[in-house]
Amino acid sequence: MTTSRRQHTLEVLVENEPGVLARVAGLFSRRAFNIETLNVGPTEDSSISKMIIGVAVEGHSLEQVIAQLDKLVSVISIKDVTPKAKEVHDTQPDYQN
Amino acid sequence: MAKHVPTANGTEMTGATSLVKSLEAAGVEVMFGLPGGAILPAYDPIYDSTIRHILVRHEQGAGHAATGYAQVTGRAGVCIATSGPGATNLVTPLMDAAMDSVPLVAITGQVPSAAIGTDAFQEADIRGITMPFTKHNYLVTNPDEIPGVIAEAFHIATTGRPGPVLVDIAKDALQKMTTYNWPTSIKLAGYNPRTTPDAQAITDAAALIAQSSKPVFYVGGGVIKANAHADLRQLVELLGGPVVTTLMARGAFPDSHPLHMGMPGMHGTVAAVTALQKADLLITLGARFDDRVTGKLSTFAPNAKILHADIDPAEIGKNRHADVAVVGDVKETIAALIPALKAALAKNKPDLTAWLRQMNSLKSTYPLGFDTPDDGSLSPQLVIQRLGQISGTDTIFTAGVGQHQMWASQFISYEHPRTWLNSGGAGTMGYGVPAAMGAKVGAPDTTVWAIDGDGCFQMTNQELVTCALNNIPIKVAIINNESLGMVRQWQTLFYDSRYSNTSLDSKRVPNFPMLAESMGCVGLSCERPEDLDKTIEKAMSINDQPVVVDFRVHRDAMVWPMVAAGTSNDEIMIARATAPDWDSQEL
Repeated sequence: MTTSRRQHTLEVLVENEPGVLARVAGLFSRRAFNIETLNVGPTEDSSISKMIIGVAVEGHSLEQVIAQLDKLVSVISIKDVTPKAKEVHDTQPDYQN
Repeated sequence: MAKHVPTANGTEMTGATSLVKSLEAAGVEVMFGLPGGAILPAYDPIYDSTIRHILVRHEQGAGHAATGYAQVTGRAGVCIATSGPGATNLVTPLMDAAMDSVPLVAITGQVPSAAIGTDAFQEADIRGITMPFTKHNYLVTNPDEIPGVIAEAFHIATTGRPGPVLVDIAKDALQKMTTYNWPTSIKLAGYNPRTTPDAQAITDAAALIAQSSKPVFYVGGGVIKANAHADLRQLVELLGGPVVTTLMARGAFPDSHPLHMGMPGMHGTVAAVTALQKADLLITLGARFDDRVTGKLSTFAPNAKILHADIDPAEIGKNRHADVAVVGDVKETIAALIPALKAALAKNKPDLTAWLRQMNSLKSTYPLGFDTPDDGSLSPQLVIQRLGQISGTDTIFTAGVGQHQMWASQFISYEHPRTWLNSGGAGTMGYGVPAAMGAKVGAPDTTVWAIDGDGCFQMTNQELVTCALNNIPIKVAIINNESLGMVRQWQTLFYDSRYSNTSLDSKRVPNFPMLAESMGCVGLSCERPEDLDKTIEKAMSINDQPVVVDFRVHRDAMVWPMVAAGTSNDEIMIARATAPDWDSQEL
């Protein structure tokens, strides 16, 4: 079956503090958002880390993902850095199947 | 009580003293808690503090009491517990407060920082555990951070969409010496809630309302949180449209007002549910399209445009697309909307006469009602109705969760905000008694009745000991149907009356009046309709002790109307297998 999935890449600046990865990962898990890729690294400001999150949006809107992320006090800013024309029609079977 | 004298910044003290001084600086007057090893250093300075600490019998009681206090006063409630099981006993109240947007600050002790991660005695990762249902939480291991974290915790809990914040503090951080330094300002890069609505959104909202011929004000608990009830009434009367108030918003708009159609949702009135279904516009104020209100979402209010005003941007479009969204404090939103709507109505004032006639016809044809049992036994709805009538509209009512909760929302007339406290989102059985305790502490001169079920009461009644010993004279009405009544109702309707594990077996075990007496309360009982009023009046006359009344009621009473879970609001039933007579209604 062909499913329409939209992939987005979010650049998220977060407070560099213990537990911040758990906060973000836990949010995605409990809200049933899908993380496709996740990369965490430092910024020039040692108090701030940068997360690059690949999100597959299915059954909810990107706006909702961003709004929920933004509610985390440890999240400072969120930028949609998705390359243009990223509408993907996934005809491949999922890895699990 | 000694007057609080602010502590000078730069003073040397222990982390524990710094914590207590910080709580005092945050304006805390009361906290509910129970000590243990990891939090013990904090209890030494609490001994000398101006803050009234109420020693509960179970930490869950502390959490719900703090919630009751917060709901009545509008200020943050504070609870405090030790590490491990003390902290995990706060988990349910924190989740409850998150679901109902209650400002709460929970302080927990943690094992010493060197022992964290070693499975130490009474160690639990309470910060990890509570991440999903706190607005934010902290683990403090450096005593210098205590004042700043406490200031932030109160700021986060009480601003924007209110919610619970947990501060977990390692024991050694409480024991070490530090320099007290209460911050003069709070800067949080990732937290800046928008309170003032966008001007264009207000203009769009007013235009949408002025185009509508079948509007409904869908009012949620946010209106009470924002103290916007008076503003709401002005707005409603300006337009003259019908109003529904959700379970969390009972009291946000007077029940006696002719434009009030009642509560919508699973056990809402026919008029309120139908108003939403037939509307062409929902003026949604501080409400969140909860599944108990919408029923099957795809068939909810199918013809309605949505105006959604909420302080939380993540609520916009979460369950239902908003045609116009207004993010901001709902009091500021309504205040801005009133002049904008006046201007819009001056150009085009829709005629709502036909719409109101339809709604009023439903309201008068399908009022809330109940059957009187023909065996002469006591009807639970009658007990609750008379409690409301005899105690009066200034009374604060709390409830547990289940049939008694729904009847208390239906058969008591709420005229004022902050007079109805219940566990709406979480559905926490056992909320009623400790919430009443906190409410009474917050409003000591007001009569507080906990309307509880016999199932709920057996979960948290130990806090009556706390009430009896701390001069907190609440009143408790146990609606004793010797069942887990709401679950039993579902078994009657959906499980072929197979009552698997819903019978609590006996109206005599436990003997509630004797249990109450043993906890230092007055215990009364009532099982005949002819004794009802005089029993309530007797309970009303006792104000120096908590009172518990065991109302032994008819077992088979059911909550109606009902929209069964997962079905459409259009399938509302007014009694078993009985739908409203839609054909006779002009809709």
